[in-house]
Amino acid sequence: MHHWLRVGLGAIFEVSWVIGFKHATTLGEWGLTALAVYLSFYFLITASRRLPAGTVYAVFVGLGTLGTSAVGMLLFGEPFSWLKLGLIGLLILGIGGLQTVTTGGES
Amino acid sequence: MAWIWLIFAGLSEMLGVTFMNWALKRHRWILWVAMVVAFSASFGGLELALQTLPMGTAYAIWTGIGAAGGVLTGMLFFGESRDWRKLLWVAVILSATIGLKLVA
Repeated sequence: MHHWLRVGLGAIFEVSWVIGFKHATTLGEWGLTALAVYLSFYFLITASRRLPAGTVYAVFVGLGTLGTSAVGMLLFGEPFSWLKLGLIGLLILGIGGLQTVTTGGES
Repeated sequence: MAWIWLIFAGLSEMLGVTFMNWALKRHRWILWVAMVVAFSASFGGLELALQTLPMGTAYAIWTGIGAAGGVLTGMLFFGESRDWRKLLWVAVILSATIGLKLVA
């Protein structure tokens, strides 16, 4: 179970660096953003060593997409629309579906 | 202009994944260099796109192009199976991506 915790942590750092890319202005903020990029990849890669890589990738991307949308709308006042939310859901479904048919023979 | 940067970032991400695939098979250092250049271009393009686009939309489209494109290049250039189910899911991802562009 603690391997899935790594996927969750990786997604949190993924959302953090996206926030940094959009909002960082000072050198310190850019430093933290770079650290978040490093940590998100670190947790993604170490989780993929123990768990099925395709599933890890799909869950990671799903959490990243949900997290960036939620943070954008709730904390940074980005416009909300049900249609947009529905399309984001469809995209997550597509990536999840793709992983279920590609897991196995390919890496 | 932000949309052009975003599409550029998505395509660079796809190229980065392709070079990584290739480097793992051919063990040529130049392929690793190409991979680093492609991923750097991808992050740079995303940074520029995010200056004006909302985070959720930009991130979803960036990652969608990377995921769908990675599968397509795998099929076209690395002999991965051309399963119709894969193409169906790629079509779902691309429809959602284009839809997000249209509503944003």
